[in-house]
Amino acid sequence: MAELEGTAVTPIARKGLTAIFAAFFRLGLMSFGGGTAGWLYREIVERRHWIDDSAFLSGAALARLFPGSSGVNLTIQVGQALRGAHGAVAAGLALLSGPFAVVILLATAYARARQISALHAILDGVAAAAIGLTFATGLKLVQFRLTSVGPLAVTLVTVLCVGVLRWPMIPVVLCVAPISIGLALVSKK
Amino acid sequence: MLDDIRTLLALTLVFAPLSLLSIGGGAALLAEIEHQSVSVHAWTTQREFADLFAISRAAPGPGTMLSTLIGWKVAGLPGALTATVALYLPSSLLVYGAARLWGRWRGSVWHTVVERGLAPIAAGLILAGGIAVLRVSPGGPAVWAAAIASTALILCWPRLHPLALFAAGGGLFGLADAVGLW
Repeated sequence: MAELEGTAVTPIARKGLTAIFAAFFRLGLMSFGGGTAGWLYREIVERRHWIDDSAFLSGAALARLFPGSSGVNLTIQVGQALRGAHGAVAAGLALLSGPFAVVILLATAYARARQISALHAILDGVAAAAIGLTFATGLKLVQFRLTSVGPLAVTLVTVLCVGVLRWPMIPVVLCVAPISIGLALVSKK
Repeated sequence: MLDDIRTLLALTLVFAPLSLLSIGGGAALLAEIEHQSVSVHAWTTQREFADLFAISRAAPGPGTMLSTLIGWKVAGLPGALTATVALYLPSSLLVYGAARLWGRWRGSVWHTVVERGLAPIAAGLILAGGIAVLRVSPGGPAVWAAAIASTALILCWPRLHPLALFAAGGGLFGLADAVGLW
C-alpha cells in the first residue's frame, strides 16, 4: 500500500473492514438485473465519496475486460484500493454472501410458487427498473465527459458496436482503446 | 463420503476453468454450463436447468448465481459453496493482481492518460450492457418502455431511492398482470 500513498492523484483514505463489508453487503443485495456498477457508483462514489469518478471508470473498464462477473471484478478492485488484500477479500465476500443466501431461499420457495404468473410479471417490472438504473449511470458518466467531442464520439461508437450491432466486446475495445487513449494524450497537451 | 468428495471435485473442475473463460459476459458461459450440467454430468434435467436459470435471474447479485444453484441441487450446501467459490475465485485473483499493478503506477502521466482514455469506453459499455439485458428480457415492449421511464425518473430525480423504483416497477407489472393487461 505504501506505493499508493503520496503519489496518488486523489488520496484514498483507508476504510475500516467493517464499513467496507457493510457497504458491499448492501450492494450485493441491491443489485438486481446485473446493475452492480450502477449501485456501486451511487453508494461508493456519489454517497460515500470513497473513490472518485475517474477511478470508478477505469475500474469499470478493466472489470469488463477481465474474465469473470464485471460486478465482482469492480468490487475486488475497489476493495483493493480501499484497504489492500483485506479490503478486496472483505468486499468480495460481502458482495456475494447476501445473494448466495437469497438465491437458495428463492430456489426453495420457487417450487411452490412457479404456477403464479404474476410472479413472472413482477420480476419483469423489477428488471425494467434495474435496467433504468444502469442506463442512468451510463448517461451520467457521459455527461461528465461532455467537455469535448472526442470522448463523446468514443462512447457512441462503443454503444453502437457492442450494444446495437452486437459485435464481440474484446476486439471492439482493443480497436477503440488506443484511439481513445491517443485522444486523451493529445488533449492533455 | 467418497462420492460426495468426487462430486465436489467435479463441480470445481467444471466451474473453475469457466471462471477464467467468462470474458465479456454470460452468453457463451451459459451454453457451456448447460452442456456440462445436463449432458455431461446429468446434474439437472433440461427442465430443472431452465427453472434454476429463471431463479438465478430473479435473485439479486453481481453476476450469475446459476453455478450456486446447480451446486446446491447436486450436493446441498457444500455443493453450493464449492460451485460459487470455483466460479468466482480464479477470476477475482486475476483482477486483484491487475489492480495491484495498476495502483502502483497511480499518479504517473500515462496512468492518467490511460484512465482518461478508458473512461468514455466504460460509459459506452455500461449503456451497451443495459441494451443487452433488455434484448434477452422476455417482457417485450412494456419492459423497454418501463426501462426508459425509470431512466428518466432517476436522471430527473437523483435522490429517488432505487429500491422504491424496483418496488414500483414490480408492483406496476404485477398489477397489470392481475388486471389482465397483457
